[in-house]
Amino acid sequence: MTRTITLSTQSIKQVINEVLQVLSFGGLVIFPSDTVYGLLVDATNESAVKKLIEFKNRPPGKAISVFVADLNSCKKYVSINQKQSAILSKLLPGPFTMVLPSKHTVQKLLESEKGTLGVRVPYYQLILQLASSFGKPITATSANLGGSSPHYSIDSFMHQISQAKKDLIDLIVDAGHLPRNKPSTVLDLTESTVKTLRSGDITFEKSNVHQSHSAQETQNIGRELMQSLSKKYGQKPLVIVLKGDLGAGKTEMTRGIADYFEIEKIISPTFVVYYEYVIQKIQNSKFKIQNSNIFIHVDLYNIQEETEFDHLGLSDYLKPGNVMVVEWGEKLGKMYTEFQEKADVVFVEIEYEGETRRKIIVNYL
Amino acid sequence: MIKTILAIDTSCDETSVAVVEGRRVLSHVEYSQIAMHVKWGGVVPSIARRAHEERIDWVVEKALTKAKLDLQRIDCIAVTYGPGLAIALEVGIKKAKEISQSIKKPIIAVNHMEGHLYSPFVQNSKGNPKTDFKFPYIGLLVSGGHTELVLFKDHLTYEILGETRDDAAGEALDKAARMMGFGYPGGPILERLASQVNNQDIYHFPRPMIGSMDFEFSFSGLKTALLYKLKEMTEAEKNKELKNLASSFQEAVFQTLMKKTKKAMIHTGINRVLLGGGVAVNNRLKTTMRAMVATQGGSVFFPSYKYLNFDNAAMIGVVASIRAEHGFFATVDDTIDREPRLSLLQSSI
Repeated sequence: MTRTITLSTQSIKQVINEVLQVLSFGGLVIFPSDTVYGLLVDATNESAVKKLIEFKNRPPGKAISVFVADLNSCKKYVSINQKQSAILSKLLPGPFTMVLPSKHTVQKLLESEKGTLGVRVPYYQLILQLASSFGKPITATSANLGGSSPHYSIDSFMHQISQAKKDLIDLIVDAGHLPRNKPSTVLDLTESTVKTLRSGDITFEKSNVHQSHSAQETQNIGRELMQSLSKKYGQKPLVIVLKGDLGAGKTEMTRGIADYFEIEKIISPTFVVYYEYVIQKIQNSKFKIQNSNIFIHVDLYNIQEETEFDHLGLSDYLKPGNVMVVEWGEKLGKMYTEFQEKADVVFVEIEYEGETRRKIIVNYL
Repeated sequence: MIKTILAIDTSCDETSVAVVEGRRVLSHVEYSQIAMHVKWGGVVPSIARRAHEERIDWVVEKALTKAKLDLQRIDCIAVTYGPGLAIALEVGIKKAKEISQSIKKPIIAVNHMEGHLYSPFVQNSKGNPKTDFKFPYIGLLVSGGHTELVLFKDHLTYEILGETRDDAAGEALDKAARMMGFGYPGGPILERLASQVNNQDIYHFPRPMIGSMDFEFSFSGLKTALLYKLKEMTEAEKNKELKNLASSFQEAVFQTLMKKTKKAMIHTGINRVLLGGGVAVNNRLKTTMRAMVATQGGSVFFPSYKYLNFDNAAMIGVVASIRAEHGFFATVDDTIDREPRLSLLQSSI
């Protein structure tokens, strides 16, 4: 039976002591954070890390970041140059995961295939206290199983997991319902330009917000979006990345965008990953199209591994005059950087707000 | 004279090669990862799917070895040129052209969906089953990528009665399973859950377009209806109701397929129905389809072996045999190109 302790202002010291003890014996702890509930183990203990990976059904090679007490301690685990240091001190502590070259002082299983490690200094006193008393980094991965959404309450999490999984947990610290903050924003600082690998609550500078109340309205927003981009059309390849859960209306949005080119009969490409359509016409545009210009409707829903991109040939489509719409574009990973370099990229998020309400955020990069 | 055909299908995930003679399949090899999927619980680590290029030679060789034939004994090469994933189709076509040039034999380009239509007539190496053609048929093709009702008038002669306007039936089932928190593949999971509550339909999800006068399908709205239902339930309610949700969703999909097929039978006066595609392995669909067709005094045919429900080169080879019998050798030159959105209409003679 997994032990659960409830967090209250009176119990803080006792809770921390108990968590420290469990961590030092290689235990797995569910603990609140500044974003969602997290899974904590000693990041230097091999068997503890393996247990965590088993719990999360995480494929090997997928990195897991670590909580660190402060900026100074970060230097023990990742190498930081002057420029990176400036970014870190500006943004930390805060809801960011910083990806940097690992010094290989934590378990190798936590690093990415490229040998990088994500470090988190959260704006959350309890974790900072815990990390500093523990003196070692602690894993900072959200309490969910691979592929499903993170949890804001212990109840909702425990309902999702099997008894076998529950048996792997050594201690639960219940802080009730956490405010619905998004998971942290992940920034890759290993290359010359900073890349956003996952966006949390903090997003891009320029964005337009729309409301949609029906599939038809979502299509209209897609058409208008393409209209607003028409000035840019033709100079560089255009990539529109769509993010949103199942049933949010991504394919409807794509229909609207395709309609601008008078392309009809858009069907879901989920099964084959993408369909291509020849661009025949453009509404009210002076740009002369060539018969080789293509509209590519991509759906990354079934993509499980980044290596799959090697066999999809998506970058071959990045030619001026081509338009690519990518559903589940958040799975692009490293490809995203390549797209940003070679194309004009627009990032659209569709959020479910109710049966007849979607919030559509268009981010111009 | 019956030709010996080497058939290649790389329309999506599967790299598949077969050797056939007429309707008989001498060998069939696919680089399947289904076993891997199961082993890793839905996640395949570091093994790229659709890496056709790396596998095609190996699969061709294996298919020939299994058929105990030398490449020189092949009379022609069949290849799928659509519908499917552009880059994947290209690999198969390129290989077919290569072999064609090296052994100086013609190529027959085949529509993947024709393969599914012919799958009830594909035989094993001993020539079983012996099902004869008795045209015309109504064909219902249901898979992860397709949902269409076809009027199969005669050999190689097709008319599309209706197709999906958004999601395929198999895709809808897979996504529903994912929304309920299950992994891949979702169809069999829903089937199992539904059978545990005797396939009852408690929730009466909407069946988009079921009342429309045409034979078109739409499953995207059904997916959204499930989403709304799940959003209004607590975690505890969801867990308690999973079987009923799965069952009601599956019923909504199958009732729609059933109703449109029946309508097509009545409309055309044809009472022989063919089923093809991955969703046609579902026992609930088979049972209800048999019952419905029986009420119309007709008969229903399913793919003759289970592997023929899924993407495979054997059915492509059989279509090529029929094409060869009818004198439809495509080309010996380089004009075959991939057609990702190829329609059956384009392949109809």
